[in-house]
Amino acid sequence: MSGNSSRSPQPSPCCAGSPFGRRWILGGLAALGAAALAGPGRATENRSDEIRFGLTPVFLNSDLELLTRLKAYLTASVGRPVELVMRRTYQEITALLLSGYLDAAWICGYPFIQYQDRLSLVAVPVWRGQPLYQSYLIVGRESPISGVSDLRGDIHAFSDPDSNSGFLVTQALLADDGETPSTYFRKTFFTYSHRDVVRAVASGLAESGSVDGYVWEVMSEIEPDLTSKTRVVRKSEWLGFPPIACAKAVRGKPTTERIAQALLTMSDDAAGRQVLDILRLDGFTPGDDALFRGIAQKYDQVRRLG
Amino acid sequence: MTRLLRRIGGWPVAVKVPLVVAILMVAISVVFSNQILVRLSQTQQRHLEQLASAYLDGMSSSLVPYVLRDDIWEIFDQLDRSRERYAGLSAVYTIVAGLDGTILAASDPHRFPSQAQVPRTLTDRFMAAGDLALAEDEGLAFVRRTLSYQDRSVGAIYAEIDIHALLAERRQVLLTLIATNAALTLVFAGFGYLAVRRMVRPIDILAAHLERGRGGRIEPVPLTGIGSKHSEFGRLFRRYNALVRALSERETLAARLAEEEKMGSLGRLASGMAHEINNPLGGMFNAIDTMERHSDDPLVRHSSLQILKRGLVGIRDVVRATLFTYKASGETTRLRARDLDDLRVLIQPEVGRRRLALEWRNELPDELALAAGPVRQAVLNLLLNACAASPVGGQVNMEAAVDNGTLVIEVADQGPGIPPEAANILNAADVDPSPPKHGTGLGAWMVNRLISELGGAVQATQLPAGGTLIRLTVSAKQNVGLRHVA
Repeated sequence: MSGNSSRSPQPSPCCAGSPFGRRWILGGLAALGAAALAGPGRATENRSDEIRFGLTPVFLNSDLELLTRLKAYLTASVGRPVELVMRRTYQEITALLLSGYLDAAWICGYPFIQYQDRLSLVAVPVWRGQPLYQSYLIVGRESPISGVSDLRGDIHAFSDPDSNSGFLVTQALLADDGETPSTYFRKTFFTYSHRDVVRAVASGLAESGSVDGYVWEVMSEIEPDLTSKTRVVRKSEWLGFPPIACAKAVRGKPTTERIAQALLTMSDDAAGRQVLDILRLDGFTPGDDALFRGIAQKYDQVRRLG
Repeated sequence: MTRLLRRIGGWPVAVKVPLVVAILMVAISVVFSNQILVRLSQTQQRHLEQLASAYLDGMSSSLVPYVLRDDIWEIFDQLDRSRERYAGLSAVYTIVAGLDGTILAASDPHRFPSQAQVPRTLTDRFMAAGDLALAEDEGLAFVRRTLSYQDRSVGAIYAEIDIHALLAERRQVLLTLIATNAALTLVFAGFGYLAVRRMVRPIDILAAHLERGRGGRIEPVPLTGIGSKHSEFGRLFRRYNALVRALSERETLAARLAEEEKMGSLGRLASGMAHEINNPLGGMFNAIDTMERHSDDPLVRHSSLQILKRGLVGIRDVVRATLFTYKASGETTRLRARDLDDLRVLIQPEVGRRRLALEWRNELPDELALAAGPVRQAVLNLLLNACAASPVGGQVNMEAAVDNGTLVIEVADQGPGIPPEAANILNAADVDPSPPKHGTGLGAWMVNRLISELGGAVQATQLPAGGTLIRLTVSAKQNVGLRHVA
């Protein structure tokens, strides 16, 4: 398995192709300064009452407008300054969340399951009426592949080793047949962004890819030129939508509760609805650990195979 | 080729000079255009090398970490994003390969999939050309850069660059050069044509005068409108006018000499004529005396009247022949057989005086399409000369006939032979327009001139048995000299 998670920090590649253009967003991100991009080393400079909210590339976090509006909404709704903290990999955000550096973070269902004993649900996004999403297996539009069995020997693009839809689902699918990605595919690599999985498959670099179904569907609205170069060959069963989680230790604390409240009432607020519109989400629901049972099963399945 | 050069040689100077200017301009423009294009090509190649070098350097430094980690996504991502950064390079594709020539990632994965080998057709292009190979006929350039890490080669970047824009620029420059040079050449050739035409206008004037002079009288060129009198053409025209004047003077002199020669012949004839008239006069006076003394004798009267009549007829013939020969010029008549017979009468005194035997064979038809005057004048001259040259008691022959439409008159004598100078003058194909300077051969010159004016020829030959034969030949089909015949 190629790729690794200990890469040097760099701008998120998922910025490219957003409705605002990559350069503009990179510039905007720089302008956001410490508020949105502060690293752990600069955390000590933050005001003591500031809330740190982590974001992963699980959703379309590249949109400057989204970041601005989300930050403004949370700040107004929680009543305290909010810092949006972004990292390139799931692992980094998860580590910051577990370490207590972050008050809450939007993570994936897979790390939530992995660290279920140390994490609690804050809220779960509702997409198309339910807090569920799917993982897609995609191939190039012109590819002759018609089913999963045709994918053997491909160069396959994964999103992130800690992503449910971008890795675990396919890993579990192969585990059913006693295969692993490294035995089933000719070569695999991680793009650390769902959008880049679509780019990799659309360009022909990868012959197939595992991608977040929610991201692919939203992208097909925003960037139809890109997604039209790909074709979905398999959709997984419905699984728990990537949740907003907090360290178990802070669950019930006023800050956490205020964050949860802000998220759950987002659809009631005009500014909140603008954020949801950008995200193409309906709102947030308190959720239940049972939502992630399917992911937990896949995790066990893969672990059993070793 | 030779014919072409000869034909071009006949073109006017006003065309040839601008043509030479145009050819020189084209030659110069070809040399300069070539220089410019070579320099442009070198500059373009240098810029291409610099741009490609900047591209490959930039890519190398960012790609090496990913090549070391075999991270094909990041390699692709870098290549994909570099399209915008290096838009000025027009890279068709870029390939990043590992040490073993396996493609890690390419900007166009459909064409160059990962884990395939770099095509031999691409690597072969660098066999001889180093790291930059140009394929101008395809409009492409190929660049290569080895990826190094800690002085060790870890892979290579290959890029194909579209250089159609550079070639188009070069073509544009070439077209601009051709258009500019063609325009300049045309302008210079046009100016050259006008300038040379203006410069050679005096030559045209001179040529026109010479052409007019060929058919008639040569006239001097007016000196107005040819610029300074000290200019080349000013001097040329003055010299030409001086020549015209000299020729006119010679013409006048020649005419006068001819007239004098005519009068000289007349003088010689006059004495003979006086003798010819005087001879019958004595007999006639005797007849008159006899008639006075024996007026009543009818026999004597009759014989005296016969003597008087014969004497008067002889005098009439001599007078008539003389009058006909020397009547005023301008009254041109056609040549008749009788015209030659008249000459026989005219030379009779000379024949008699030198006791010559005259062989006379005149076989001319009644009338010929030739002017009588010049022929009679020339033949009379030859006959008188023949009489003078022949020894006393010798023989002079005259034969005249028409052979195949050509009048042939031969006069032969038994003299010591014609002097070489006179023979040369007679035989000259182009008769000198001016008479001989030293007087000798004046008669020969006259004869040749008269016959030449009729389009005929004179030939003097030495007879083997001694003496000279002079033959005149004139085409009787031509109407030369009969322009004014009524």
